Amino acid sequence: MPAMRFRSRTFRRVFVRTPGGETKLTYKKRKNAKPHCALCKAVLPGVARGTKTQVRALPKSARRPERPYGGQLCSACMRKTIVAKARNQA
Amino acid sequence: MIEVGRICVKIAGRDAGKRCVVIDVLDSKFVLIDGQTRRRKCNMLHLEPLAQTVKISKGASRDKIVSAFKDLGIELREKKSKKPAAKPKKVRKVKPKATKPVKQKVVAKPVEKKTEEVPVSKPAEPKTIPKKKAVKKVVKKE
Repeated sequence: MPAMRFRSRTFRRVFVRTPGGETKLTYKKRKNAKPHCALCKAVLPGVARGTKTQVRALPKSARRPERPYGGQLCSACMRKTIVAKARNQA
Repeated sequence: MIEVGRICVKIAGRDAGKRCVVIDVLDSKFVLIDGQTRRRKCNMLHLEPLAQTVKISKGASRDKIVSAFKDLGIELREKKSKKPAAKPKKVRKVKPKATKPVKQKVVAKPVEKKTEEVPVSKPAEPKTIPKKKAVKKVVKKE
């Protein structure tokens, strides 16, 4: 019987071949969900995906686009918000 | 709408949301801009023109654009000089000179202590000898 915390599918199951030739079942953390645009809910391209430690190990410029709202809004929604802001001020 | 001297907001890329002036119209698609952004070629579709305009000549220098933005109430950041200022480190050289005479005094004191320690170290030697005897006994048993 596996340990209680491993009985749901919170962890993913990986078969690992040991040096002795056996296959053993190990439990690993799942990747985080794909990031989505906050306005249109589309999947954001160019945003790093993995477990939290994997993403943290990357340089900041590799984690998300360099533009404002990068990693929060898609490029189209970012343009709309900035245009709306500019027109309200003027 | 887009002509030389027109203030715009850049919509696309890393400079999005920053203000700029049109310096030159290159063709039907592209313009040259400067301001809060770098001086660069830019697609007109990536600009949102504002109502404001500035009186500058075609291909105006950076200094004129900085002064034109000041009139609008926008201060432009200038690049920092790449050469770092030289730092004198004379303070460290003085300190070791002061510590050297102190070290000599410290060395002189332990010499007196060593004479006291000598009798203490003698009884420590016989302690190690019985260990060697124990090793010899083990060898004989074998």
